[in-house]
Amino acid sequence: MNIVKWITNFFSPPTKESRMDLGRRNILAAGIVGLGGGLLVKAHPLEGGRTYNPGLVRPPGSVPESEFLDKCIRCGECMKVCPTNAIQPTMLEAGLEGLWSPVVKTQMGYCEYKCKMCTEVCPTDAINKLTLEEKQKVKIGLAHVDKSRCLPYAYTKLCSVCYEQCPLPDKAIWQEETTVTTASGAKVTVKAPHVNAERCIGCGLCENKCPVSDQAAILITSVGETRNFKNQFLTSDRYSG
Amino acid sequence: MAKNKTSLPVWLRRLTQTVFLLLFIYLFYRTAYHQDNTTGGPVGFFFNLDPLIMLTVWIGGHAVASSLFLSLITLVATLIFGRWFCGWVCPFGALNNLFTSMRGAKRKDLLKTATYSVRQKTKYYIVVIVLVGSFFGANMAGWLDPFSFLYRSFATAVFPAVNAGIQGLFDWLYRVNPIGINALSEPVYRGFRHYFLTIAQPHYFWGMMFGVLFGIVIALNFFRARFWCRYICPLGGLLGIVGKNPILQLSVDADKCKDCMECVLDCQGGAEPQSNETWKPAECLYCWNCHSVCPTKAISFNFKAPGVKS
Repeated sequence: MNIVKWITNFFSPPTKESRMDLGRRNILAAGIVGLGGGLLVKAHPLEGGRTYNPGLVRPPGSVPESEFLDKCIRCGECMKVCPTNAIQPTMLEAGLEGLWSPVVKTQMGYCEYKCKMCTEVCPTDAINKLTLEEKQKVKIGLAHVDKSRCLPYAYTKLCSVCYEQCPLPDKAIWQEETTVTTASGAKVTVKAPHVNAERCIGCGLCENKCPVSDQAAILITSVGETRNFKNQFLTSDRYSG
Repeated sequence: MAKNKTSLPVWLRRLTQTVFLLLFIYLFYRTAYHQDNTTGGPVGFFFNLDPLIMLTVWIGGHAVASSLFLSLITLVATLIFGRWFCGWVCPFGALNNLFTSMRGAKRKDLLKTATYSVRQKTKYYIVVIVLVGSFFGANMAGWLDPFSFLYRSFATAVFPAVNAGIQGLFDWLYRVNPIGINALSEPVYRGFRHYFLTIAQPHYFWGMMFGVLFGIVIALNFFRARFWCRYICPLGGLLGIVGKNPILQLSVDADKCKDCMECVLDCQGGAEPQSNETWKPAECLYCWNCHSVCPTKAISFNFKAPGVKS
């Protein structure tokens, strides 16, 4: 009998003191704030695949952006566990609604090819659990060579750092031998790097190790990321997802 | 009036709080890269106990990581024992409790701040905002969820700062070597290096901001006892709503009560335990301070038909 009494008492308490008395109007106001928050998320440009933030590279295994914001609780477990310190809290990269959610900053660290710790620790599955084989196929972004900063392209210097660093067994960077003219008029042969977009997973090791230290000559952006099937530019990728 | 000795339930509470806070720090420390690419254990244990996270992820994401269903235990326990979780388990609560007990407030100041304030309803409105928001696609739980807040602050601010502090101290000792202390300090440093320090100093953008926010929340304990738990914590609010008619209830023996108000001054949640009529179960953290401090032993906790106060 106590249980029945308890259930009825829970919804209409017998004494005035045991009521919470939050006030219907106040609850309504709070509800409207929540509703407004939710609707403003829907109105955000990043919602619905209208545009993408090139700098918003999420950790491997992340679910599509709108689902990500539904699930991520900004706990920082992935930031703590990342062995290269690559996962950082966002401020406004994902909008105010994405405040303090994780982003891979390849200038800070890189996504270690043999590691999948962030997929292990996420308590809400905003980052899905993956096996190492699955994780090594997930594209978190794509590398782009900046020809105006790259040593072989812009400064006629020999450099193979990005090619050598690329952790993929069959290399996502290939080199083209080109003859360029130096300032003194001499002809030198350099190896100009190109990115194989079919292979590149966007781990960022090339950007992280690039000798152009402040803003690397090879940059990771989010295009080509596996999780957003519309954030693609190669037709084969775009329609295979 | 002679001060009572701290009673056994309070010591038990302090023990479990310490255990859970240390467990939190240990699991935090264990959340690191290991050779076999696993964490080797449930490092997200506290998040699994958190029904606010379970609810918002469920409502917003329509799918829940199965480990989050552990939080149903918290909910069921709250139906019986009220906000026992806040007082006995929550590591952030333990931390706030620790800093609350550090303040040296005087009786006349406490009389102004220890009683219930209607502002304490703020946390329930935060719960409503968070739950409605998650229904419409904005998961706002993480910003103010106590475990998220604590973990994030530890990860991006406290831990990097402690790491830098220890490293800097031993670097300085090694360089200056006052009174040949290196013979002593270097083995200690090797111990730190082996067991605690990270290989490279962790750096986080906006670490200062997270540190300042954490510091503000800790400092607010000097303004009101367990300010965070009373006014802000959405998990506390959710547990308060669920545990507003608990089976375990406080009862005051009016014949014994001398109206000394000691219980009110020691109350962590502003639940006003001085009488059956004023006691607010949704604010009570079941810390047993009132029971411990009462000079005439007028206060007790009993299992009763829920919703009915004696």
